[in-house]
Amino acid sequence: MTHPLTRLALAALLAAAGFLLPTLLGGSTLVYDTLVAIAIFAAMSYGLDVILSDLGEISLVHTAFFATGAYAAAILTVTYGLGAWVALAGAVLAALSLALVLGVITLRTREFAFSLVTYAAAVVCMNVASNWDFLGGSDGIVGIPPLDLSIGPLELTAGRSAEFWPFAYLLLLLTLYVVHRFRRSRLGQAALMVHMNPRLATMCGLDSNRIRLQVFLLSAVISAAAGWLYAFQRAYVGTDLFETYFLVLMLTGVILAGRRILLGPLLGTALLLSQKSFASLGAYGDKLVLGVVLVAVLCLCPRGLASLWPKVRGFKRRPAQAQAQAQAAAGAATTEIPAASTRHA
Amino acid sequence: MSARLQIGGLRVAYGQAEAVAVESLVVEPGTLAGVIGANGAGKSTLINAVANWSRAEPRISGSVRLDGEELTGLSADQHVRRGVQLVPEGRGVFMGLSVEENLKAVARPGGSHGGRSYAVEDVYALFPRLRERRTNLAGSLSGGERQMLAVGRALRMAPKLLLLDEPSIGLAPRLVSTLLATIRELVEGGLTVLLVEQNVHAAAEVTDVLHLLERGRVVAAGTVAEMRNDPRIVEAYLGASHG
Amino acid sequence: MNVAQQLVNGIIIGHAYALVAVGWTLLLGAARLVNFGHGQMYMIGAFVAWWVMAATGLPYPVAVVAAVLLGAVLGAVMQRLFLRLTLSQDLVSLMIVTLGFGQALEGAAGLAFGPKPQTLASPFQEMSVHLGPVWFTVQDAILVGATILVFAGLYLALHRSWLGAAVRMVAEDPRLTTLGGLRVSRIYMGIFAFEGAAVAFAAALVAPRTPILTSMGFDQVVMTFVVVVLGGIGSVLGSYVAGLGIGLFTALFGALVSPAYTTAAVFALLIAAMVLRPGSLAASGSFAR
Repeated sequence: MTHPLTRLALAALLAAAGFLLPTLLGGSTLVYDTLVAIAIFAAMSYGLDVILSDLGEISLVHTAFFATGAYAAAILTVTYGLGAWVALAGAVLAALSLALVLGVITLRTREFAFSLVTYAAAVVCMNVASNWDFLGGSDGIVGIPPLDLSIGPLELTAGRSAEFWPFAYLLLLLTLYVVHRFRRSRLGQAALMVHMNPRLATMCGLDSNRIRLQVFLLSAVISAAAGWLYAFQRAYVGTDLFETYFLVLMLTGVILAGRRILLGPLLGTALLLSQKSFASLGAYGDKLVLGVVLVAVLCLCPRGLASLWPKVRGFKRRPAQAQAQAQAAAGAATTEIPAASTRHA
Repeated sequence: MSARLQIGGLRVAYGQAEAVAVESLVVEPGTLAGVIGANGAGKSTLINAVANWSRAEPRISGSVRLDGEELTGLSADQHVRRGVQLVPEGRGVFMGLSVEENLKAVARPGGSHGGRSYAVEDVYALFPRLRERRTNLAGSLSGGERQMLAVGRALRMAPKLLLLDEPSIGLAPRLVSTLLATIRELVEGGLTVLLVEQNVHAAAEVTDVLHLLERGRVVAAGTVAEMRNDPRIVEAYLGASHG
Repeated sequence: MNVAQQLVNGIIIGHAYALVAVGWTLLLGAARLVNFGHGQMYMIGAFVAWWVMAATGLPYPVAVVAAVLLGAVLGAVMQRLFLRLTLSQDLVSLMIVTLGFGQALEGAAGLAFGPKPQTLASPFQEMSVHLGPVWFTVQDAILVGATILVFAGLYLALHRSWLGAAVRMVAEDPRLTTLGGLRVSRIYMGIFAFEGAAVAFAAALVAPRTPILTSMGFDQVVMTFVVVVLGGIGSVLGSYVAGLGIGLFTALFGALVSPAYTTAAVFALLIAAMVLRPGSLAASGSFAR
């Protein structure tokens, strides 16, 4: 293992290089637009990532959290004329309340029951959004003002493209930091244990329902924050935010590189959106590409592209899982606890 | 004439851990061979590897021959169609199917490989209790009835070699001896059986040859009479009652 | 308002829901596979039927058969792709992979059939039957009759035939099934092909009721979700009853309360059912009678 300070310096260097990326790529509007989209959608994907990678469930309602953030931003700024900071608070609160209700409903469901109910919830949300005039109905809400996050004398505003990049990038870095911290926190470790070995988790006195709910809330906030920023970038919100395309984009982003790799969803999203921006095959062609990529990755290398390169740091073919499997097989009658499951980091 | 079953240099591993390493184990036609050993000695792993059947997909290498024909590399259902029939430990029946469906829903029985084929009626003649419960779901049967059904189901596929994994597990002693006596009868009728048992007393009553497995290796083998004179076996497994 | 007519509409819609769901019910019960590509397979079935009629001028019944055949092929392709994941029961990857499969189908259909809405013109859609205060089309009558036949046939096949027993064996324990000398992959092939054929058949019968779009995908079949889940996972009779019940509910809710919120109401019903009896949603992997 490298020295923590070295790693910190490396991370800082990488972050700085990332910030200059649009300039390095020529600084055209297309480059800025693409990179802003990558940053926002990657941040959105991280919300789903913690559910998928750390809880081992598939939430299909994360488009709704993303949309909740965007709609909250739109309503608070357009309908009530409030500022972007208030809109952010509103987005977070709205997503938290929605996640709390859904979380409680889905607490006892697992696997595809969980996915079905979250899908049902997403359909209900979309249905409500397209019929309720308060939410703009099928027209959506237009005329969202430019982003203004000025604090006192410090002027922080952004119109389109290039001006927007620092904010999108900051959101992405913040999200990465939160996910990184989460995976090292007690909650993150507990979530993984609940996922990998529920029985052991219960024996260790972990309340799996509470942990699942907390992770669900965290993930909703992450996706909603991305939605909040997306509303300002696009200047309008509409029911297209609920489209399956976004959902599949998120899922593919998370799966593409491999689960539980910090930069995985970012790389996945970047690949997909770069194809869309720079090598687009039209809307249908892009859909086809997205679908084929997802199917190919899962069928050919279910552990993600990173598994093709075993030396990628931090990716160790899930030793705990393999070991637990071997133990379960070797000593079918004995009820030894595969203690290895807890040793993840 | 070659042996019914001939195992040579068989290795079974889960990940890094080697569970079974058997250099040689032979079962002659028309005999009942037993594999005994403590819990975790690798008995089930061994017998599952012979049938290439496992839920955990271990790595298997070495040689398993049936009447001289190499079986390694064949899938589990191909083993069945060549006459190697495993009755796995615990539940070898489908709980959601009736007794009769369990007996009927097998690959075309009585194939050309030469094992004796059993019609559903033959199984009922062997285990009359099953006839009484023919319309009941297997999930509603007692442990003993389930084990009879599992054996009956296995016979339906006309095995040349029947592999039994701990049929006595969870059964009352009287049921164990009845079941093993029936197996012995089948062997007298020409069937070849490899029986894995933790219940050494029960196994010694019916088997011709015993193999003692420790940590995945055969550490002693011989006829039951020979094994009875082996102080290691007597001390560790057969106890004072037979000494 | 004509309540009798609403009831008739509900019965027809209910049978449509049930027929669209039947393949998925079997797939879920036998392979524990949640097929999020089901909607796009429905769309492909409808468009293939439309294309056969539009491009070759063959009559509607031939188009139905063509759609069913192609549906079965599509199902078989799915089996080839997903067999490994199905055998290892990697449920998370399975759900995602079906979403991707659906997305690919939608993209491919958009490229092949274009963005314009089309009409699958069944001659039976033009013929109507008037019975006292109510009326329906011959197409509706065929739909209801075909649904009843498919459900009865599937139920009998599952519980009275050798093949059905094999499917129930795979549902309960695929590994153990191999010890019966059966090839699990072949049984899965049959199950997947049935899913593809059944949803294409449903599409060919249901789609003439509305214009078809390559983007309709899941919106057209979201109700099958509810049907499959409320009917009890993998229960054939259950999904028939659930389909009929939800058909009546949507018809009456749409007429009496609000057509715009019908979908939301049905899904709220599903969520309520989840909260009240979550046990019914356990993936038991077998067929309740």
